[in-house]
Amino acid sequence: MPSDVRQMPDVLAANLAALRSAAPAVAEAVGSAPPLLQAELLATRSGMPTLSLEGQPLHNLHDPVAEAERWAGEAVERLARETAVTAVVLGFGLGYHVEALARRWSGRIVVVEPDLALLHTACGVRDLQSLWSRVELMVSTLDDATIDDLGRHVLLRHGPSWLRGQGGLRELAERIAGRSTARQVRLSIVVISPLSGGSYPITGYCARALAALGHDVHVLDLAPFAAGAEALPHFAPSGAGRQTVDRAFSRFLSAGIRTAVERLAPDLVLGMAQAPIDAALLSELGSLGCVRAFWFVEDHRLFPYWRDVVGGYDYFGVIQRGAFFDEAAAHCPGRVLYLPLAADPMVHRPLELSAAEQQEFGSPVAFVGAGYRNRRVALRCLLESGLKIWGSEWGGALPVGPAVQRNGARVSTEDSVRIFNATTINLNLHSSTYVDGIEPRGDFVNPRTFELAACGAFQLVDERALLPALFRPGEEVITFNEVGALPALVREWQARPADRARIASAARRRVLAEHTYEHRMQTLLESICARETERFRSRPRAATTADVAALEGGSPLATFLNGLPPETPFTLDGVVGAMQGREGDLHEAEGIMLFLHQFDDLYVKEHRA
Amino acid sequence: MSGRKILIVNLTRFGDLLQTGPTIAGLRAQEPDCHITVVVEKNFAEVCEGLPGIDRIWPIDLDALGRLLLQPAMNDLRAAYGTVEGWVKALRAERFDLALNYSSSRMSAVLLQLIGVSDTRGWTATADGFRVIAHQWARLFSAACLNRQQAPFNLVDYYKRVAGVSDGPRALRFEVPPSAHSRAAATLRAGGWDGQRPLIGFQLGASRVVRRWPSKHFIAVGRALEAQLGATLVLCGGKGERGIAEELAAGLGSQVVDLCGRTSIAELGGVLAHCDVLLTSDTGPMHMAVAVGTPVVALFFGPALPVDTGPYAPDHVCLHAPVACAPCDHNITCLDSFCRDVLEPAAVVEAICARRAEDWAGLERAAARWAGIAWYRTAVDREGLADLVRLGDRPPTRRDGLRRAYRALWKHVLDGTAMPPAGIPLAEDAAAARELVAVATAAATIAAQVQALVGTDDIAQLEDVAGRLELTDRRLFQLGQVHEALAILVQTFRFEKESLEGADLAALAAATRGFHEDLAARARCFVALLDPVPRHRELTREEKVHASCS
Repeated sequence: MPSDVRQMPDVLAANLAALRSAAPAVAEAVGSAPPLLQAELLATRSGMPTLSLEGQPLHNLHDPVAEAERWAGEAVERLARETAVTAVVLGFGLGYHVEALARRWSGRIVVVEPDLALLHTACGVRDLQSLWSRVELMVSTLDDATIDDLGRHVLLRHGPSWLRGQGGLRELAERIAGRSTARQVRLSIVVISPLSGGSYPITGYCARALAALGHDVHVLDLAPFAAGAEALPHFAPSGAGRQTVDRAFSRFLSAGIRTAVERLAPDLVLGMAQAPIDAALLSELGSLGCVRAFWFVEDHRLFPYWRDVVGGYDYFGVIQRGAFFDEAAAHCPGRVLYLPLAADPMVHRPLELSAAEQQEFGSPVAFVGAGYRNRRVALRCLLESGLKIWGSEWGGALPVGPAVQRNGARVSTEDSVRIFNATTINLNLHSSTYVDGIEPRGDFVNPRTFELAACGAFQLVDERALLPALFRPGEEVITFNEVGALPALVREWQARPADRARIASAARRRVLAEHTYEHRMQTLLESICARETERFRSRPRAATTADVAALEGGSPLATFLNGLPPETPFTLDGVVGAMQGREGDLHEAEGIMLFLHQFDDLYVKEHRA
Repeated sequence: MSGRKILIVNLTRFGDLLQTGPTIAGLRAQEPDCHITVVVEKNFAEVCEGLPGIDRIWPIDLDALGRLLLQPAMNDLRAAYGTVEGWVKALRAERFDLALNYSSSRMSAVLLQLIGVSDTRGWTATADGFRVIAHQWARLFSAACLNRQQAPFNLVDYYKRVAGVSDGPRALRFEVPPSAHSRAAATLRAGGWDGQRPLIGFQLGASRVVRRWPSKHFIAVGRALEAQLGATLVLCGGKGERGIAEELAAGLGSQVVDLCGRTSIAELGGVLAHCDVLLTSDTGPMHMAVAVGTPVVALFFGPALPVDTGPYAPDHVCLHAPVACAPCDHNITCLDSFCRDVLEPAAVVEAICARRAEDWAGLERAAARWAGIAWYRTAVDREGLADLVRLGDRPPTRRDGLRRAYRALWKHVLDGTAMPPAGIPLAEDAAAARELVAVATAAATIAAQVQALVGTDDIAQLEDVAGRLELTDRRLFQLGQVHEALAILVQTFRFEKESLEGADLAALAAATRGFHEDLAARARCFVALLDPVPRHRELTREEKVHASCS
């Protein structure tokens, strides 16, 4: 086989010039990239060039044009079948298949190829000038707007490029598939809460976020069983008897969860950290056909139970990276995702406080949280600064005891938001059971960091390995790395009210832009949808009540629908579900929807099933 | 001056529609000038055409509505909404004086609420959407549906009483159009019936397997009837029974006319009118046979009971499988429906032959021989209500006694009929009823205190007394759950309380007190009906505690 194909500088220049006029930034990136170093250029029997990478040809060695025509023929059939407006080609190779597609199909063509070296090489061996005015080339991470702008599209893999997977091609494809599928489907999701603890309120935040993203959410709230769990020692305080009782209670909860999931038949079950879901139950949930996800919002060092369950999840969200992440990924048959904590702007928000509230909740410096030993030690140095300490488990915490408010009673979420708003300088010190001051191995960022920021409150926070990727230190939060520096820091920032306000405001903007629970749930769902595209295809998103109200003009139906949350799906379940809890007389439109819902329940559902 | 405009809603069942017939005819007889409209699913409009007394049939196409909702896109749901909106507006515009809802679904309750007829009886909904039952007979019917072991009356009598029909026809009636009658005769002749041989109908199907008699039993009966009577057998049923019909036809030989799925409703009436006897389980065609005057031998097993849904006309024969679990729940999935085999084919053959010959003595003898089956002859009691007369020499059971007592009680309470003497003594049930008297009397006393406090400024006292009343009510509900005999009494009381609506506290308090007093009075009557020996005794300590748990 001849192997005398060479890079042609004039062809490269012409291609780059054509590309520049269509997409200057892309042309710049391609032109700046080096050509592939370990590629072998070959002439095929038909005389057209192809490329061999580590022994694998990117196109047919006999006739790449004929091969491309076959590929394009199948692609066009699929595009027509799925009434697509955009063809997204994954992998460019030397472009034969893209040319064939452009000849056969008149719709929009987007080519995703993150391997700039390959593109550079391709531009040097083939005349692609006419292609650059016809297709759009995307070479880097795609933002949400770009993906949303694709419209109804089909992802078309170029097989050899896909197998290579160079430059993150698969990740880009997943991102497109995940983002677009998540926007198009309405999933039925069951969120399972723990019985109690710090992750309990996060259950509600996640559920609200998922509903806001347009999904059908049911919270399996296990808080009512917390009292039962606490009462178990009445049967047997310890020993084998206690184990028996604990196991029986666990089996009871498992049976309850399984029954509820079977009844609700969701597409996705999302367990929150500490939710009583063991490996056996996970197996049963899997056999019910739902996708299983978990958000482990815990420090893996303190809560090793993740090892027992990670193997049963399809998706496992964690707040830490590094060796733990790798180990979790090794034990999870599905996918492990880094999902840092977040805030709920509906809850954590700037407040206008009354004078009485300011008086009660305000102080120059405050800390909200449980009385871990490292905090007891660290906060001593601020006793002269007007420190108030809010939260539980501060009993016997001399000498900081006098600063503890409300005798160490638990602080409600609403009150914590008032405190954040009323305090001049909020301290945020991550807990540690290992050291007296700042945890040197501290990596994850606690919820308080996001919550304070969302409130528009100024905070001093201890340094964490994963913090700089989430907030810019010095611009959005002020960090400290030794407890001894705190008094001086407090004095300094008390004297800089304008700078405090600027930083707090920047932190809030960052939260709203990147760190809400909606963002986290969106990330989780995109990751799930990227892999479950086929499974979820049958869950198309319905029109919303706002859509229908707009179409209905001033009709009674429109008036009724306008009284519901605008994102309510215009389905019988959606509309009637949104009517729950209403009071007063039924309007005619409500009655008609109730009639239809009942009719559907009695006569239609069984046929649909 | 024209009479009342009356709306009857009975949406979805063939048999139920036929059972509405005596009510319609009774209303027509009582109020010749009234105008009666029946809202019915389009597929069953043909049934209404054979019911005398209807002025207007108002068909609604639920199939089309169902198709819109099967995989509804946005515009399908809008269209479905528009369809129902159209029905509601049109029906409301009729300005009916009386609406009778004979469908028990929440769907129909909401529809009635939307139509908004001030005198609505049966299931309806309050202005804020809660389902309630309007009219005492409708509440009793619903309570009996939940406690069918003691179901006292036939469905048709409830229908009549809810409508205010005090007498009316005592048998179903369906007028087969002459053309349908002729077509039926022609079809039977074409199928091989010579017009001379005895013609016995077999109704093969029922809506659910648990209500369907096994095909092997039909085959055994068919062979015996061919041998003993030289009968021609006509197989009736819908398209869903075609498979069973073919199985029977193959097992029975030449004297079979298979009409499954091959007749219209009116033609089915015509076919049944030609039959000497119809063998059937509790189905719509059973009611059709009764309505065209053909004797039926009706088999009751699973959830079916002859007392409440049996043939509404005298002199039909019902065979019931009185197994311990009967009647089962309509929605149950039975893994071993052995009750169907209790009704042995040989007994059924005897019943058919004797009924055809009007040999009531023979039926008595057969009932005595087949003592594992409960045999009944349908009848009408002195007050004109449908009744069952037990055949054979089987002694009455406790449940028979309770049913008799309940019949007497409700006739006395709701119709003013004189109380009969006590029936078979049921001392334990009477003791339970005495407890109910005590608690209901205590509750009535507390309800009177509530009534006295309403309108005063003593809110704390009112709340305290209302709390005590709630506790006492809980005790009443508990009695209804614990004692089978009390279930209908207590459930009816619950429905009465649930039906209270409005914002006039004084009126609500007065009605509440009235319901408690009524319950106490009814329970006293019940005691008298269950216990022939009046017992005046002190309450036990426990009874006192219960009675004073307020």
